Amino acid sequence: MQSKLIQIAGLVLSIAFAAFIIWIYATEPRTFKEVTTSAEVAAGTYEINQENFNSALSLFRREQFRAARDEWQRADPAQRDARTQFYIAYSFYREGWGRVYFDQELFKQGVEAVNRAIALSPASPLTIEDPDLHMHTAAELKAELEQGLERSWSDVNPLKVLRTRK
Amino acid sequence: MTTTDTNNRARNRALLDFVVLPFLFLTVALLGGLRIGAESRTFIFITPPLATLLFAVLLMLLLVRSGLLRFQQWIGSDLPPLTNVAHIWLFVTIFFASAQAFNSVLPERGLLHWLFSFCFLWTLWNNQFSSFDSRRLLRSLAILFGTAFVIKHMLLASLYSPEGGLLKRVAGTLLQGVALDTPIFAPATGYIAFFTLALYITGLILLAFCTDERGSKPQMNTDLIGVHLRL
Repeated sequence: MQSKLIQIAGLVLSIAFAAFIIWIYATEPRTFKEVTTSAEVAAGTYEINQENFNSALSLFRREQFRAARDEWQRADPAQRDARTQFYIAYSFYREGWGRVYFDQELFKQGVEAVNRAIALSPASPLTIEDPDLHMHTAAELKAELEQGLERSWSDVNPLKVLRTRK
Repeated sequence: MTTTDTNNRARNRALLDFVVLPFLFLTVALLGGLRIGAESRTFIFITPPLATLLFAVLLMLLLVRSGLLRFQQWIGSDLPPLTNVAHIWLFVTIFFASAQAFNSVLPERGLLHWLFSFCFLWTLWNNQFSSFDSRRLLRSLAILFGTAFVIKHMLLASLYSPEGGLLKRVAGTLLQGVALDTPIFAPATGYIAFFTLALYITGLILLAFCTDERGSKPQMNTDLIGVHLRL
């Protein structure tokens, strides 16, 4: 009877360990900290660091976009919060926007971030109520970033210097 | 032998078969693909390349031929279903541990990856046609993995280390113009690989003890009969 119990316990525990190994190889954490973050995400207990988020928001409002992005990345290391990813994308947009031309590299990174934000909120369209922003939905931001990446004859229109940043 | 002795023996054997060995082999499967980045000092998990799965299949065949794994005794219609499932699970863990043991000593890419792969394939393929018992196979595997470990984690690591000495200069001269394209990892990677291989070989040794205790025919007799039949 005891041998049977040992068999069952051994099977259950070792299958759980095998599942852990598969999960580790699938998520590829780089540090022990990332292991715990990924475990929190898997367990559904993951939360962003609100202090870092607020600090990033104040940097964003002072137009210090790189510093803001650093703070947001610290606030959401697992990149699992749609709101934070939306703001990161917005910071790429604002930093990359120019009257004469758009920074293509920053816009590309912006598209990646906004795609992450959209993927993280599949149930309802992502909307951010922030009076400081001119675009409140991820779809608007994505369209704006993608337009910035497109090349067309309107790029040589001299009147485009009159356009405004959103 | 008293009933208590028999019970203890059965319990210990169950612990070894169904708890210790699967956990040991799964730990090998976890650590076999783990490397530590040279500059970032972060974890890098390398999934087993397809070649290592092929090596693991060949090694499983060898383990069966040498009598370390006894399918007919461990899996059968006369055994309880749970025991069959537990034994199949043990085989699965051994398979992945074998693949990861090869992964830990196989250079990740470049010319050396193919050279090592060819050597492993050649050795394992040749061994399929040799007569083996469990002890000989264990010795052979210890030497195979030991040699690969020394070459990859000691010779090549010292060759590519930033402060490499005489060996680096000699190899640099000999291999001038040959792009080996081997990634550089932190020294901790070598320690992890050593621990992984030690665990793997320990697991196989425990498996050999476990197999001997199952009351099978003595290996020597089997060998003698085999030799007689071949004659």
